[in-house]
Amino acid sequence: MSKPHVLLLGDITHAKAEWEALSDVATLSICDSGNREQFIKDLKGKYSDVVAVFRTFKSVGITGRIDAELIKEFPPTLKFVCHNGAGYDQIDVEPCSAAGIQISNCPSTVDDATADVNMMLILGALRNFNQAAVGLRRGEWNSTTPLANDPEGKLLGIVGMGGIGRAVKRRAEAFGMTVQYYNRRELSPELSAGAKYVSFDELLATSDVISLNLPLNANTRHTINKAAFDKMKDGVVIANTARGAVMDEAALVEALESGKVKSCGLDVFENEPTIHEGLLKNEKVMLLPHVGTLTYETQKKMEVQVIDNIRAAITSAKVNTLVPEQVAAGIF
Amino acid sequence: MSKPSVILFGKILHAYPEWQELSSLATLVEDTTKTNAELSAKFAPGGEYSSAVAIFHTHSAAAGSTINADLIASFPETLKYICHHGAGYDMIDVHAAAKRGIRVSNTPGSVDDATADVNMFLILSALRNFNQALVGLRRGEWNSTTPLAHDPELKTLGIIGMGGIGRALKKRAEAFDMKVIYHNRKPLSEELSGGAEYVSFDELLARADVLSLNLPLNAATKHIINKDAFAKMKDGVVITNTARGAVIDEAALVDALASGKVFSAGLDVFEEEPVIHPGLLANEKVTLLPHIGTHTLESRRKMELQVLKNLKSALTSGLLVDITPESAHLQK
Repeated sequence: MSKPHVLLLGDITHAKAEWEALSDVATLSICDSGNREQFIKDLKGKYSDVVAVFRTFKSVGITGRIDAELIKEFPPTLKFVCHNGAGYDQIDVEPCSAAGIQISNCPSTVDDATADVNMMLILGALRNFNQAAVGLRRGEWNSTTPLANDPEGKLLGIVGMGGIGRAVKRRAEAFGMTVQYYNRRELSPELSAGAKYVSFDELLATSDVISLNLPLNANTRHTINKAAFDKMKDGVVIANTARGAVMDEAALVEALESGKVKSCGLDVFENEPTIHEGLLKNEKVMLLPHVGTLTYETQKKMEVQVIDNIRAAITSAKVNTLVPEQVAAGIF
Repeated sequence: MSKPSVILFGKILHAYPEWQELSSLATLVEDTTKTNAELSAKFAPGGEYSSAVAIFHTHSAAAGSTINADLIASFPETLKYICHHGAGYDMIDVHAAAKRGIRVSNTPGSVDDATADVNMFLILSALRNFNQALVGLRRGEWNSTTPLAHDPELKTLGIIGMGGIGRALKKRAEAFDMKVIYHNRKPLSEELSGGAEYVSFDELLARADVLSLNLPLNAATKHIINKDAFAKMKDGVVITNTARGAVIDEAALVDALASGKVFSAGLDVFEEEPVIHPGLLANEKVTLLPHIGTHTLESRRKMELQVLKNLKSALTSGLLVDITPESAHLQK
């Protein structure tokens, strides 16, 4: 019997050897379709017996989103979509589930690197580092850098207490911050490790710093909107390493202008790489171009995690890290 | 008997009422002199300050920001205490002061958190190519020109100078899973070092993936990081400095960056600040901040209160609370 067909959508940079090693259990192809139209044709042709797909964040540039329209074109053999990334909002979960397709993502391997950027953004926003760096480059030394604030003793509200949120908590506590969180469900004491579970409204009303660490889906889009800003403390600081669209970017710009938000640190944007003009013009804010996991060490760990998911899919018919919605549905 | 007089060099911005409370113990004078020559004249016999007992010293004063041997020579016999606002006091000639029986205090402890926060940010920023990311974003390149970076996790951090700031840094670095080794004039107790490994200077240079300068500047430590020191370091080492610029030979650092010996650097201080070596300004890999180590409302107030505490103690008991090592023999 021939080995199952596995398709690579996108690039593998660090774990090429591990990818090649899959050839003991699978036949490997690298997708060369130039665009979505061609990809759909190829799904009926040379990829018509593909069982599992390794897909990257960037491959959306070729295939477009993995939505109901595309999933309809998948061959019946295709049962596993293994995504390289923590956030998998490029994939529509329901049509996959309806078609019996398992989706895996990369939890845990992304935690440290993303939390590191998250903590840098919290510090950068509290300490006015962007103004300082810009003032230095303009020859103003620190004369145009306003006195800033220490993180010590401040209350950090984490929205979304998954692996990344918990990794942020650990770091924030080393800087003397107290941590509270909001999550779909309260965590066990072991997992929450002393962080106080509060309602979303209480988090908004009492936090000095708010960190967004929740996934983007239909329920969470614009979680932080004008109404949310109105409930926050004056002079709040916001950090976002999740997805731009969990926050209404235009409302954020208004909140910065009014002073409701003192400063923010952002690694993600609603329409990245396009950034709202109001953010680009604001010297108080720290803006990074979605570098959350862009390190040699973490990129390799993530690629290996996807490859391990593929191997598990092929050999045991079950991925390792099924996405939460599908775990909750209990269908696999 | 008239009250002793205390002269303020510079401004008190965050604890002014507490300064005014000292008026029950001393006549408080806020100096506004513009030049050291005029200042010396005021301390001379018959001058306004000819019976001054203590100075509240800040580095932002117009005259007297540097207290050199000449100025000290002009001080009256009555002047016994210089209470400095800041951890580093290299701008005061403590030896000339001691020869005249003048004791100097500084503000250790109150600077630790804020400085360690900047220090940790610089470590992360240098490892994660933060500056290149910020600059690339602003140039419209998104993250395409940001090279893949490195995680701090499991890297060895070598701390040179394990005082309050060095130890506060260790606590933060360990939240990022860094392994800490240190060099200090003397090894610390297990309790103080918290499990960090004590090594010789040369061994630290050879083993550190990241090197942090946290030692005071004096005759013995000037250019302690020089061409020879760079030659002993690992290839691709990351350097951070929140101590004093002159502990590093800045020109040698520029050479080491150019050769790739140093992968990146994060600096809050410079040899000739506010002038910065053009080789650093031109290097997009390095993160440069304009000496903002304690530039926060909360920490500045803590520091001012600490100076006042030393002044009050001097006025009431003749003893300083935070006497500097070079003055300690004057107070037994």
